[in-house]
Amino acid sequence: MSIIFDRSLFVTNPVMRYIAYAVLALFLSVIHIVFLRFIAVSSVTPDLLFILTVWIALVEGQFSGIIAGFLCGLLFDVVSTDVQGSNALAKTLAGFVAGFFYKEGFAMTTIGSARFLMICALAALIHNVVYYFLYTRPMETGFLMFFLKYGVATTLYTTVAAVFPMLVVNRQKDW
Amino acid sequence: MQRFIEFVVRFKNYITLCVLIVMSFAMMSFGDLSRLGGFRAVIVGSIGWMQSVFAWIPNPVALKSENAQLRELNLQLSIESARGRKAMVENVSLRKMLDLRKRVDVDLIAADIVGKTTTQLRNYATMNKGSANGVKEGMSVVTDAGLVGHVVGTSEDFAVIQLLLNRDTRVAAKVQRSRVDGIIAWDGETTLALKNVPASFDVQAGDMVITSNYSTRYPANIVIGRVTKVEEETNSLFRKIIVEPSADFTTLEQVFVVAELPDEQRRDLERRVEERIRQRTMER
Repeated sequence: MSIIFDRSLFVTNPVMRYIAYAVLALFLSVIHIVFLRFIAVSSVTPDLLFILTVWIALVEGQFSGIIAGFLCGLLFDVVSTDVQGSNALAKTLAGFVAGFFYKEGFAMTTIGSARFLMICALAALIHNVVYYFLYTRPMETGFLMFFLKYGVATTLYTTVAAVFPMLVVNRQKDW
Repeated sequence: MQRFIEFVVRFKNYITLCVLIVMSFAMMSFGDLSRLGGFRAVIVGSIGWMQSVFAWIPNPVALKSENAQLRELNLQLSIESARGRKAMVENVSLRKMLDLRKRVDVDLIAADIVGKTTTQLRNYATMNKGSANGVKEGMSVVTDAGLVGHVVGTSEDFAVIQLLLNRDTRVAAKVQRSRVDGIIAWDGETTLALKNVPASFDVQAGDMVITSNYSTRYPANIVIGRVTKVEEETNSLFRKIIVEPSADFTTLEQVFVVAELPDEQRRDLERRVEERIRQRTMER
């Protein structure tokens, strides 16, 4: 057990980290489908895969963030049976935006502070603008009203959910 | 080539972004998972299985929302049910009235009761048909059950009916079975009294009372009510006969106006004869 949770293994070996990200992404997608309905507020839920994307972008850099965003989005599109590519596009852009805040060697400092929440909020806003713009295209509903109703709520809820990884990192300064 | 590689390395983030955006749009234009056939079935099946495994966990938020929705639905269904019941009752009533229309050979004007004044000594009803619809003062008003009263006032669109349960009611009536004549008057309650019937005449509880040919105000043979009680009065030549009106005045909603006025010539003649007899009596 101690080998599995040997943190240094993930810190030093990037392959292990990427495997861990992949497993975590699958796990979060299952959580999203099965359990997130319990904390849905007016059908609005936090986007866990988005938080993972921002995390990867801040830890691994913009390039990895873009790739991670695309793959997480694709995974989300598949498991949520959404239009293929809509989440992939939105999360790719989110990873790209979050990647601008990458600072080598200071990733955990960023994640463990309120800066992480601000990055999440900004990236989530862009993510949701793109996503709900694509979402409302085939509908007669106006984008602005729909975005103000659901996009802003989802952004806020996701930002609130991002508090938990922030607190976890904040309490473990030895990362 | 070296410069191209350097360019790619330098702008790899932007190039990757562009490529992935193009791929995303390509996937969107490709369409949804339904085109992936078996793959979609596997995904949907897996998700469905996972959700069913954890379906037993109650969701308080969803339950609350569902509860609210069910309450709203329940309210709507209650309203619908009440409307349905009302429509059914109205339907039965209107069908009876249609039947009445077929039974009588005079013109009838259908009207709805829009107001009622049923204080003890003033039992009037207002209906939504007036002189513009051919309603005139003196016309009789009936329902499928029987006589209701007569019109005592009209405006262009409304008319006021004096109900049978009124202190001024006097209707020449007869018992349908035995053809015994009498006068129907209001007894002050919810029933009527058949007066001027000698004690020796054949009247029994259950007999139907109808309007008489002697009536100058109402058409003949309209049902007024049913005899419910016949009492012998001590020191009197007459019986006390209680008649239950056939028309239900408490639930009066639709009525018909008999579009026929009392025969003026007959009334005029009777009035003149009465006047002459009164004058002769006074001369003597």
